[in-house]
This record gives sequence, C-alpha cells and structure tokens, in this order.
Amino acid sequence: MKHLDETQQVVWPRGKKNLTVTPLAKRLESLEGKVIGELWDDLFRGDEIFPILEEELAKRIPGVSFVNYEVFGSTHGDEEHQVLASLPEKLKRHNVDAVISGMAC
Amino acid sequence: MLRASSVVELAGVPTASLTCEGFLGQAATTSSGLGMPNLPVAKVPGHVDVQTAEELRENLVKVTVDAVIQNLTVNPSAAKPIVEPEAHDIVFEGTFEEINRLFYENEWSDGLPIVPPTVERIQEFLDYCERDADEELGALLPDNRMATIWNVAVNGVMAGCRPEYMPILVALAEAMADETYGVEHSGNTPGADTLITLNGPLIKQLGFNFEQGALRDGFLPNTSVGRFWRLYLRNVAGFLPHKTDKGTFGNTWRVVLAENEDVLEKIGWEPTSADNGFQRGQNAVTISRYTGGGVIASVFGNKPEQMVEYLSDALTKITGWELIFTVGMATGTYRPLLVLSPILAETIAKAGWSKADLRNALFEQARMPAWKFEKYVGQWSNLNPGHRTLVDFVNMGKAPKVFAESKDPERMVPIVCKPEDFVISVAGDPLRTNAYVFAHNGMLGFPTSKEVKLPGDWDNMLKAARER
Repeated sequence: MKHLDETQQVVWPRGKKNLTVTPLAKRLESLEGKVIGELWDDLFRGDEIFPILEEELAKRIPGVSFVNYEVFGSTHGDEEHQVLASLPEKLKRHNVDAVISGMAC
Repeated sequence: MLRASSVVELAGVPTASLTCEGFLGQAATTSSGLGMPNLPVAKVPGHVDVQTAEELRENLVKVTVDAVIQNLTVNPSAAKPIVEPEAHDIVFEGTFEEINRLFYENEWSDGLPIVPPTVERIQEFLDYCERDADEELGALLPDNRMATIWNVAVNGVMAGCRPEYMPILVALAEAMADETYGVEHSGNTPGADTLITLNGPLIKQLGFNFEQGALRDGFLPNTSVGRFWRLYLRNVAGFLPHKTDKGTFGNTWRVVLAENEDVLEKIGWEPTSADNGFQRGQNAVTISRYTGGGVIASVFGNKPEQMVEYLSDALTKITGWELIFTVGMATGTYRPLLVLSPILAETIAKAGWSKADLRNALFEQARMPAWKFEKYVGQWSNLNPGHRTLVDFVNMGKAPKVFAESKDPERMVPIVCKPEDFVISVAGDPLRTNAYVFAHNGMLGFPTSKEVKLPGDWDNMLKAARER
C-alpha cells in the first residue's frame, strides 16, 4: 500500500468512442416549395406545437408543405426502434426534403 | 428525439430538432455521442408544459420558427474530431490527493475519493477474468463509448471494489450494454436509479449482506459494487449531471440487493433471477431502474390474505405517472418490485402460497379507479397525447382487455398488465415484519439479468483472496 504522498501513475477511466464524426446532410438553399416531414416523440405538446409551426412557416415560405408526424409513428417508446428503422424509406416515399423533430424537454 | 434526427441526417435529409431551453446542454453532448456534434437544434424558450397557449405560440413565433429555418438552410461549421487518450495510456502521475483532484475536475469521479487506477491494481482485477483485457462488451449511449474488460477493471478499482468482485462487474457491464435494459434513457428527468439484485452462491462467498440493513451502505461488496455501477455510467456510458444526466433531482446510487437464498430455498420460492430464465444456484445479476421506493412497516397478520391488502395498497400508492409504462408509451413494461423480509415471505409460504399465488393476489388487489389511472398519464402529467382513455387504448389493441371491462370511470383497474409483471424479492431483517416497494421506470430501465461467469480456478482464487 502506497503512502498518500507517494506518486502513482494512473490510466484514463473512460472508453474509446465507438464512432467517428459523421457529416450532416447538406442544408437546403431555400425552403420554398419544399416538403417538411414532422417527427414527434408523443411528448411535450407536440400536437399543439406542430400546427403552429406549420401555420407560421407557411406564412413566411411560399409553397412549403408538411407531412404529419402520424405518418411516421412515435420516435419514443416501445416502437422507437421500428419507427427509426423505417424512417429512410418513409422519407423517400413522401418526398421529404427536410425534417422538424420534437420534443426534447 | 435526437436519435431520430441523426437517422434522418444519415439518410441525407437536413433536420431541425425542437429543444426546450433547459435541454440545450444535453442536446449538445448527446449529439456528440451520436457522431454529429454540430447537429443544429431550434430553441423553444422555457418549458412548454407550464406555458399558456398564447405564451407557447408567442415563443414559437418569435424564437423557434427562425431557428428552424436557419437549421434547415444554413450549413453548420464542420465538426472536428476530439483527440482522447488511448485506454492503456498513463494520463497522470501524482499523489493520492493530486490524482483525486484531477479526476474530480475532469468529472471522472463522483465526488468521493477514488482508489487511483494504476496498472498494477487493474491487473489484479484482470487476474479474476479469463478474457482479453481489450475485449469489447458493447457500445454504451449517450457517449457511445465501448465497454471493455479493461475499463470495467479501471472503474472497479476506482470504486473501491476488491479484485475478486471482477466477474460481477463484467456481468453488470454486459447487462448495461444489453438493448433490453435501455441504458440510453438513464439521463431522463425523473432521475431514476438502478437497483442491482444478486443471486447465487457468490452472495455468501464474497460476503454480501442480505439480512438486516440489506439496502444500507456499510458492507464493502454491496456498497462498492453499487458505486461501480454509477461510476461506469459516468465514465463509459457518459452520464454527467448538468449535461447528459438530466435527473431533475436524482438520488445517490443504490447498494446491491442480495437475496436471502437460504429462506428462498426453505420456502421453495425461486430467486429473482428466475424471472429472466436463471436457475436456483446460478450466479446472476439483475438490473432494473426504479423511480423511488418506500418502506411498508409492521405488516400485520398470520395469513397471506391478511397481508395482501396492505402490500397491494403500498404498491398502488407508490405508482403514479409510471403507469404510462403499464398502458401507453410502452405498454406492459412496468415492473414494480416488492421486497419482502424473510419472516413475511415465510408466513405467506407457510399457507401454501407460491410466488405466483402472491402475484395473482396482488394483481387482483393492487388496483385504482380508471379515472385516476387516466389522470396520472394524461391530465396531471402530459405523457399521453390526445388524452386517450383506457378504453381507447384497448380498442387500439394497445392494452389488455382488463383495462376496459366497462366504461365506468369508477371501475377498478390493475397497475400492471399481468400478474407476472410484479417482481418479488426476499431480503432484509429476517425477523422483522417490514417490506419495501419500488416504483419502476418501465422500458427506460427494464429488468435485465446476466450470468456471472467465474474463472476456472475460482475456488483456489477465492481462497487466496481471503488470505490476502
């Protein structure tokens, strides 16, 4: 057993990250005429928030349209894994150009 | 929610993630663990649940909409990878006090002194494991760091464990990495904490306390293994208060609950690990995440029928918003725990009752009016979108029929979906008539068991450890 004033060499207690930094999707030049998909985790008033966002975005951006969160299913809860796995195909099928995902609270 | 955004970004579609003001820090660290540290978020001022409809609209229109447009149309700066030490690197040389200061300042410790993780001490732990030190046990969210035999040993040293606890620590890391458990949810705001239950001969071999004070600190194996769990969550999974751990209050880690297997054998009841397929006499850990607990003092009666009403009442009282895991968000994942003191279990068993009999009786009696159940999940809390009723859930096929035997709001409904959802353990003061109930966090910490695998020469190694 070492004395408290003796020096000791110690290692790092964390773990290696299991990923590399992934580039984000390219942003759109404009939202005009684009299709925005909505993803919701069924929490924190998304059912009130998305209609307000739709209304306000439509006022500001000509031709923008929306695909409702019900099309994709809840992104949290017991169906999360299936819902996330199905997203790429559903986004393609509904010609979604961009996504608003909520709610982190 | 950010996990969904990352999937969408990978599919080549830009996202805006709606994030309440208090969660911007968590969003930043969680995004990093998803490999997208520059994932943009759109701030929602304050917390939506306490805002009037007008306040909510004003906040969205004035702040969030602009952020959404920016998130979707402006490319964020490219993220740079962070350079970190390699697992075996010596990161510091110093005295006990200097090492502890460094670990605390880097958020690698829980605030209590740690045992410095030197290579020599780590090797003592590795000697109790016949596996390669760099073997990977699984990736742990939110940091997405790899659990390995090596970093299990490092954190075991730090927690003050003895080297011979290593097989248990490895089993715990494997359980943490099991998708069934759902470690990624461990930073949610209710701040639940894990209870580790230990079964098998290891309880006595390693000196775990399973009698009086079964949930109290003061017993090296129970206490240090419990501390290891929380340190591992911190250092490898990456749950840090004020960042990825958003427990509104939280609580200290729990010591290991070791069952009284002598009594279980005497009364012919299976151990807790049997719920997940293990046999009596097998060494196994079971992890499950509980939102809170409470003691049921002085249970009176010499027959189970006299006790069940009180036990059922306690289970019902401790269960509130967690009912969203019985019906709703993750139907059928609510698994409350009842810990009986040995004398209570023996009295119940003396009447010929099995664990299944007790569970059936609790299922019949641990009930509440349907209107109250619905208020917990959909009115007093905001966890059930559209305020769906239990009848709605049954009609949607998302709840068993027992929840809609009529439409009478006063009808009594169970707090779990089936009798087997009650978990029953036996521990504590053998001769005191008290019990303990834990409310459960559902799929956000679902009961998960793993076998504790011992090295081939365990008996001799244990003997040597005792003589050390």
